[in-house]
Amino acid sequence: MKHIYIAMFSVLVGTTGCKKEFLNVNTNPNSLPSATPGYVLANALNVSAASMVGPNELGSFWGGQWTQSNGYILATTIFQYNFTNNDFNYWDGTYDNLYDYQYIIDNAKDAGQDFARGPAKIMQAFNFQKLVDLYGNIPYSEALKGVSKLAPKFDDQKAVYESLITLLDDGIKDVKANAIPSAFSASDIIFKGNGTNWVKFANSLKLRILMRQSRVSGRDSYITTELNKIISEGSGFITGVDVGANPGYTAAAGQINPFYDSYGYSETGARRANNNWPRITDFVISTLKATGDTVRMKRIAYAIGNEDGANPGVSLKAEVNTNYVGVKFGANSGYLPGNSSAPGPSVLTKGQFSKPYIIMTAAEIQFNLAEAKQRYGASVNLTGTAKSYYDEGIKQSYRILGASSADVSRLTTSGVDNVDFDASTNKLNAIAYQKWLCFINFNGLEAWSEYRKSGIPATPQSINYVGGASIRPLRLYYPGTELGSNGDNVKAQGTIDPLATRIFWDID
Amino acid sequence: MKKILFSLILAVLCAAIVDAQVRQVTGSVKDEKGAAVPLATIKIKGSQTSVLADDNGNFKISAAANATLQITATGFAPIEVVASSTSLSISLKQQIEEIDNIVVTAQGIRKKSKEIGYSYAKVSTEELMVGRAPRLTQALAGKVSGLAIYTVNNSVDPAVKVILRGYRSLTGNNEALVVIDGMQTTSTVLATINPNDVETVTILKGGQAATLYGSAGVNGALVITTKQGAKGKIKTTYSHATNYEEINFMPKFQNKYGSGSQYYEYNYGDPLYSNDYKVRMKANWRSYENQQYGDPYDGSLRIAGRVLEDGSKLVIPYADVPNVRRDTYDRGISSNNQVSFSGGDDNGTYYLSVENQKINGIVPGDWSDRTGVRANATKKFGKLSTGYNVSYNQIAYDRTSADFQNDVINTASWVDLKNMRNWRTDPFANPNGYYNDYYNNPFFNKDISRSRYKDANLQGNFDLEYKLTPWMSLYNRLGIMNNSRTGKNTTEKFTYSDWAKNSAYIPDPWTSYDDYPGIYRAISNVLGSVNDFSSTENVLNNEFQARINKDLGVVQNKLTLGYSVYQRYTKSISVASSSIVVPDVYNISNRQGILSGSESNTTERKYGIYGDYNVSLKNMDWLSLNLTGRYDATSRFYKPTRATNQYSYLYYGAALSAILTDAIPQLKSNVLSYAKLRASYNKNGNDNIPLYGLDLSYANGANFPYGSNVGLTVGNTLPDANLKPEFVTAIEAGGEFAFLDNRINLDLSWYKQNSIGQVLTVKIPNTTGFSNLLINVGEVSNWGYEGDLKIQAVRSKNFKFDVNMRYSYNDNKVINLYPGITEFQYGGYSYANTNVILGQRFPQLKTNGYYYATDGSGMRRVNATTGYPVQNPTLTPRGSTLARHMAGFGSSLTYKDLRFTFNFEYRGGGVMYADLGRQMTFTGSGKWTENRDPQIFPNSYYLDASGKEVPNTTVQVREPEYALWVNNYRLISENFVCPNWFIKLRDVNLSYDLPASIIKKTKFFSNVSIAAFGRNLFTIVDKANFYTDPEFSYTSGNGIGISNTGQTPPVRQYGINLNFVLQ
Repeated sequence: MKHIYIAMFSVLVGTTGCKKEFLNVNTNPNSLPSATPGYVLANALNVSAASMVGPNELGSFWGGQWTQSNGYILATTIFQYNFTNNDFNYWDGTYDNLYDYQYIIDNAKDAGQDFARGPAKIMQAFNFQKLVDLYGNIPYSEALKGVSKLAPKFDDQKAVYESLITLLDDGIKDVKANAIPSAFSASDIIFKGNGTNWVKFANSLKLRILMRQSRVSGRDSYITTELNKIISEGSGFITGVDVGANPGYTAAAGQINPFYDSYGYSETGARRANNNWPRITDFVISTLKATGDTVRMKRIAYAIGNEDGANPGVSLKAEVNTNYVGVKFGANSGYLPGNSSAPGPSVLTKGQFSKPYIIMTAAEIQFNLAEAKQRYGASVNLTGTAKSYYDEGIKQSYRILGASSADVSRLTTSGVDNVDFDASTNKLNAIAYQKWLCFINFNGLEAWSEYRKSGIPATPQSINYVGGASIRPLRLYYPGTELGSNGDNVKAQGTIDPLATRIFWDID
Repeated sequence: MKKILFSLILAVLCAAIVDAQVRQVTGSVKDEKGAAVPLATIKIKGSQTSVLADDNGNFKISAAANATLQITATGFAPIEVVASSTSLSISLKQQIEEIDNIVVTAQGIRKKSKEIGYSYAKVSTEELMVGRAPRLTQALAGKVSGLAIYTVNNSVDPAVKVILRGYRSLTGNNEALVVIDGMQTTSTVLATINPNDVETVTILKGGQAATLYGSAGVNGALVITTKQGAKGKIKTTYSHATNYEEINFMPKFQNKYGSGSQYYEYNYGDPLYSNDYKVRMKANWRSYENQQYGDPYDGSLRIAGRVLEDGSKLVIPYADVPNVRRDTYDRGISSNNQVSFSGGDDNGTYYLSVENQKINGIVPGDWSDRTGVRANATKKFGKLSTGYNVSYNQIAYDRTSADFQNDVINTASWVDLKNMRNWRTDPFANPNGYYNDYYNNPFFNKDISRSRYKDANLQGNFDLEYKLTPWMSLYNRLGIMNNSRTGKNTTEKFTYSDWAKNSAYIPDPWTSYDDYPGIYRAISNVLGSVNDFSSTENVLNNEFQARINKDLGVVQNKLTLGYSVYQRYTKSISVASSSIVVPDVYNISNRQGILSGSESNTTERKYGIYGDYNVSLKNMDWLSLNLTGRYDATSRFYKPTRATNQYSYLYYGAALSAILTDAIPQLKSNVLSYAKLRASYNKNGNDNIPLYGLDLSYANGANFPYGSNVGLTVGNTLPDANLKPEFVTAIEAGGEFAFLDNRINLDLSWYKQNSIGQVLTVKIPNTTGFSNLLINVGEVSNWGYEGDLKIQAVRSKNFKFDVNMRYSYNDNKVINLYPGITEFQYGGYSYANTNVILGQRFPQLKTNGYYYATDGSGMRRVNATTGYPVQNPTLTPRGSTLARHMAGFGSSLTYKDLRFTFNFEYRGGGVMYADLGRQMTFTGSGKWTENRDPQIFPNSYYLDASGKEVPNTTVQVREPEYALWVNNYRLISENFVCPNWFIKLRDVNLSYDLPASIIKKTKFFSNVSIAAFGRNLFTIVDKANFYTDPEFSYTSGNGIGISNTGQTPPVRQYGINLNFVLQ
């Protein structure tokens, strides 16, 4: 009897032994242990596109193109500029995204996926420029190194800008050497595997980076040399089409175009609460009216009452000039959503949730070329004239807005200052104004950057700003997260005053 | 007490049947020193006859000459005396009854209390049942020093956090282990167990006992023992409780202003701008506004909302409806019914209970329903003892997932919300006609958004003990647990009428310049949604022990050797659709678009070998030493490539206890009756790492896959390659003292715990490419002291009066963090969050605030032009959110059959942040926004052109009727920080046992009692706390101390309990 009991106990105890195998259950069953660079690229490109929504919104406000409707209480961070280092953190997410590209750069070869490296480098340059334009000096040479550099030092912003040109050159080399196999063309959610377009995009990006510095004294020879390098490379620029990302937007939660998702409708067509949030400024509407630019105005904005839900792309109220009402920048009363103009049919049309998310417009590239030619003349080996690039820019702006192209020549020959190139008293101002205009709704961050660079156009101050008359935010604070974890290096950048500390290319 | 009452009843019963052969015996009961012992019970052995001695120790009893009398009295050893004489003088020996009892300690090891060298507390079923709390955690609140129970959210499924002696871990788990009948379970059990099934809860506060539970016990343990039944006739008990629940207190509301926002047409600086705030205020009024910044209530008839499609309109007086928000909530009601059977014989015991509890909460329509059974039994077969404890219960919940409280405070007080319940039939309550343009009818929101889930919990353990030799036995306990939850979150579909969308208008005379037709809120139809989820948790825990009790010469040995195996498996799956097609059919097949879903699986395993050795010497048994040790191996740190010492670890402890009054008998006096000193040291290992924390993970990118397009991302938490378990060392010292014949008991302890090499998720700069590093760093110290005082103040025949008091102090300090890191954030809001800060107590609340004058006067900076307070955006520490001081005060008074018991709890010494304050400033419903007249911001200064600080006596705020509050005051989070202290009347109970003379006549019952009880009947908070219960928190994680509108308002509960014991 006793033996039976002892046997019983030993059954209970013995079913599990102190063996190592018993503990070998520590492999995460919920996520992958490694990742294919090609698949990492697909997500990284998508994140790069989707994470532009935030900075673009802020840029649209501070670039004087958007303001808020009065259906919401005043966003004091935006319209009174009393934001802190806990607001507008576009830093953490961007570096997270940059690391995914770094993972591709570091692992593509071993994984036999060299094709992913070139696009990764080009997109790193794209994102690093965004960071410099928002924050100035940033970690670059010591960034993205994991535990080996736990407190990355900051690099001088001008030096980062120069490094980006080199990085893009590397990227172009990689793209040319490694064609994207058809099996991964879907992972390239921007160019669907077309390497030539990646090179053209890299060249267009170099053009943007170079022209951003065009007003910095002493940079002319550097800029012209680099521009001529692009031209002699020979692939040219993106023309006639916009650069957009589309991972395969589909009618499912989270899988629709992020701009449409934020300010338009849900995947099932329900209006988003933020549909009433952004409003076109009074400055934009009245300027467009004053310059006879109402064809574009009616694509940029909806008439009061917003879109007719039953008739997508068309305003609820008659599309006559008087029904287009802009909101005074920073106004906190007097403009309820129903009585002011929202972003228009060119960006928000109910049901059009699967358009690519635009990361660079064709019009911008043309205006950059126009500025290059206008500034540097024969020093750059561009074949067109400043006017030809300028007119093409306006044409591309009409195209992306979906405005009738028949109207382009009316506008470009209207004799109106800053509209008709020949009639414009200051050509550079005309180019700057039209460049700023082409960004409305599409690329607010670039609009704000160009505004900071040139001061054109002279948009009015926020009604709710209490303080110095003309100042607009010039940059963001380094985020609290970086200050908390990389404090010494952040503090080494000196005192940051977003209303006074300028990015190097912002000279006045 | 109960025993005495029973004896009384029996005495009365038996008095009627006097045996003719017996004679009257008189006697007196005295103690060793000859003093009278009052109220001793004198019982004739083998019969039901017993009497009670009077206050002077004298008694009379009828007994035969050969009868044996059993004499018992509280505080004395029972003795037996043969009634050979008719006049007896009986002398009783004092006994430390309260203290010298058996305690179930870690791993089911039973010890005499004098052998225990560390602090523990025992709560009996009577103490637990005082407030008839539906959950065990609520019943324990305030009853044990050092134990803090935070009800962080109130609802029909309250969220609770159980903390013993403060925090040890910065980012890991700090909650006490829950052990039920020896099995390690999870805090889930605290929500599901029937409190009435609990015999005792032993709280092992320190690390010594926990050494034996392994990692899980590092935060102390609640050791729950359920009722086992006792030898004797079957005892059938039926009890019923009806419990009411109502709001204890609401945030402080203003009742002067109705709907309005910043609608005044002109912006400041416009030539047409009016400088008369009354003009602006008047223009700010809107019939459809959720904010409450309109003109003052004047009783005039105004329209609420717009004209409905049928032409009707809600025209009501523009005046405050008193208490409208409180009345929007229901009075909750719940009922509990239970039956239990218990009994046993020499070879076995038996306990069976069945319970049902139905709760209807204060949020209308929220309910829960718990049905459970428990079957416990033991049976001896010679040398083999077997036993099992099994419980199974099902709980159903139906709750709203809408933020009801937030919806309520977004309703102006002139609209009688409590009459807006029937939105399906009442056109003014229906979303198509509801007045508020921005926030829907709270009743609509709470009705359409529901979370319904069912829990089923099976838990049991199966014990075998075999007595191998008289001094050694083998013991095995297999514990199993299966918890499952299945549920559905649904949103009902609602489509707005075209009228509501486009045509509903505001008629004269209420119309304004900027009105446009259509309800703003109606732009979005509610598409309906369904999220179906299920999760399951399986736990298996086997403990094998060899128990050896052998004296070697004068050395008394008690040794327990054990082997423990633990496995936990979880799985959860959810599928969801963000729209439904056919209304009211909540199945994911009834959808548009694609399914979303997720899956999670975990498995963890551990094994351990442990020993507990107790030794004392026969001639010195006042002193006992306890040594413990345990060796653990855990899968959480295991990889085939890792070294053994990276996933396995040894730890140990020692405890010493000395009964001073036994060692030095001279110490005993009339004053001091008992004194024990104790001390312990131990070091505990802790595998405090997130599951699968050793792996860098590669997850699907956000929203991927898009169709067949795959996207992956690199995880953001980088694990250090050398991660290993962390260690906590604890020292503790204390003493137990009894005074005045054990009428006063005092227990004191002091402890200090250091946790070293914590597995910490450290924030690293995102510029490294990662946001966090998982690494062993940091050191935290946690210390405190506790005192418990129990006084039997009065003991007389009819009246007893007990008082107990307790106090505990706990403090902690972050001694060391990762090099270069001085602080990191737990979470919260960008403007108010909880943090770990080097060198400070944690969690530490940080918020933005004011710029104070440098002269220390406390003046706050305002803008020299606008007069508005200026926000200092730097987040500044405001204090710790964890209570530093806890105190309890309780008493019980017994007069004959009437008993009155109550317990108070105080907690304080910290701060809280109530986001409700910010929210109520936004809506304008907060009392503090009531001053909207032109004013200079109180106690303020400004900076003049030269930067000098000038006391402000001239600059008035620009727009006191709106912008002061919404755009300025609201954004200064320091305004909503307040001390977190509270005093709560935790529970109160008045019970009455029906007189035996009545009970006897029923011939059916042996005891009937009726009780009225209450819980949290009142709560006192700081005068600056306008907001809510300081216990509330938006999270049950470590970063507590921040509350928001997501918590239902605090409640008080009261009710009636009936208890019947059948004969």
